[in-house]
Amino acid sequence: MPGAAGEQSVSIRLIVNERRHQLDVGAGETLLSMLRERLSLLGPKEACCEGECGACTVLMDGAPVASCILAAGSTNGRTVLTVEGLAGTGELTALQQAFVSHAAVQCGYCTPGVLMVLTALLEDTPDPSEADVRRALAGTICRCTGYQQIVEAALDAAQLMIRAATS
Amino acid sequence: MRFCRVRSVAEAVDELSRWGTEGRILAGGTDVMPQYLRGEQPPAALIDISGIDGLQGVSEVGGVTSIGTLVTLRRLATASLVAMRHPALAQAATAVGAWQTQTVATLGGNICSAAATADTLPALLVADAQLMLVSKSGRRRIGLEEFLEGPGATALRPTELLRAIEAEPLGERSAEGYVKVGRRSAMDLAVVGLALRLSVTPTGVVNNARIAVCGGTRPPHRVPSAEAAVVGTQLVDGRLDCTDAGAELASAAAPERAREAEYRRRVLPRLLSRLAERCVAGISGVGS
Ligand SMILES: Cc1cc2nc3c(=O)[nH]c(=O)nc-3n(C[C@@H](O)[C@@H](O)[C@H](O)COP(=O)(O)OP(=O)(O)OC[C@H]3O[C@@H](n4cnc5c(N)ncnc54)[C@H](O)[C@@H]3O)c2cc1C
Ligand code: FES
Ligand code: FES
Repeated sequence: MPGAAGEQSVSIRLIVNERRHQLDVGAGETLLSMLRERLSLLGPKEACCEGECGACTVLMDGAPVASCILAAGSTNGRTVLTVEGLAGTGELTALQQAFVSHAAVQCGYCTPGVLMVLTALLEDTPDPSEADVRRALAGTICRCTGYQQIVEAALDAAQLMIRAATS
Repeated sequence: MRFCRVRSVAEAVDELSRWGTEGRILAGGTDVMPQYLRGEQPPAALIDISGIDGLQGVSEVGGVTSIGTLVTLRRLATASLVAMRHPALAQAATAVGAWQTQTVATLGGNICSAAATADTLPALLVADAQLMLVSKSGRRRIGLEEFLEGPGATALRPTELLRAIEAEPLGERSAEGYVKVGRRSAMDLAVVGLALRLSVTPTGVVNNARIAVCGGTRPPHRVPSAEAAVVGTQLVDGRLDCTDAGAELASAAAPERAREAEYRRRVLPRLLSRLAERCVAGISGVGS
């Protein structure tokens, strides 16, 4: 609910998925509701709204954040990437492709958040161990897969990316 | 509710004095926003300090580590200066929530929220942290232990801003660590958190020990009786006997009526032994 009753608005400029935006957002508005309701980016999901489940994860200046508890007003000057921004050119990233081939997506509700946190991990740690992957996933809950396919997809994508970079 | 974005410490303290108890500082917002979203009484103004560059940065000058209030837990978990000079703080920051939490949660916010379960506080207490506060009427400095008045209650005045945290880096022949026990291994609050900092003489006698705990019903605090039980102890075959200190920790936890008090009493001595073993292994240059 952008701009709840009694809230004054504040003007912000930010970049979302490589596009510049200037918006007036409510004082208590979250980044998640701004993305979903003002920019129609429905990739980030709304589930717990308490920062616990990770379904709303997006990258802010390259680092994962729970957008459901982040004040939209405090994203002024920041760069945000949502799952929609990953395949910007139309082609899936190596990580997304690996999710498809490992059947790491079942109901898909957690997927946009999981993809974002793993995208940040592969940027940070190009050759992660299984423990690194599992640690990175600590804040994203998946009710379907049991995580195994997700972990394998991430490790596989890392190897694909390393091979692509060295060939 | 208004959203006041401030660009400097001067602007921040102006807004604080204007709004008084009606204003609320917003740093990373990982405590402030969930409270607001849950429908708790909103402040008249959120004062967003997240864009103040002067409140960032970690440095070591003249034997003192200075950490800006806005330094995030992720930064503390990954900065090499922190890993070397304040390993307990790095370990505590890693233990908070998940990566998504650590990206935005600030050290100053963890201190000012003053939760009984705040992971960074035991690590800061064993580094004898001092808080640098600023308001329109001047500056003051206060020790962390004195600042923490109760779970969720601090000595911060409504018009004051926490600017920086000063802490004592690890010295020679010293080591420290933080261990946390929760109901699961990540994304849970501490049932018990324990920080230990130890220094030994060249001949292997403990000449300084600081022990602090979190997770009970009291705000995080040091346990002087347990510290006293360790000081003067000689390392034997590279090991430190912590039996007495462990008993002191357990009895200091005894008056607590928390649901987990019995569990805490049992687990604290073992955590201390494990942590002491890790610390002693990390101290080099000690004869036996
Ligand atoms: C999912 C989740 C998991 C979590 N897990 C843990 C955990 O395991 N361990 C743990 O310790 N914590 C945990 N937390 C809480 C932790 O994220 C916060 O305590 C955090 O460190 C607060 O920092 P912040 O910048 O987000 O503070 P904010 O929410 O912005 O502020 C917190 C409080 O401090 C005040 N404040 C902030 N900065 C200043 C300043 N410079 N001067 C004066 N007042 C100030 C604010 O007004 C507010 O009252 C968790 C939170 C979430 C959402
Ligand atoms: S919806 Fe944001 S963490 Fe659950
Ligand atoms: S695929 Fe259903 S929650 Fe993860």
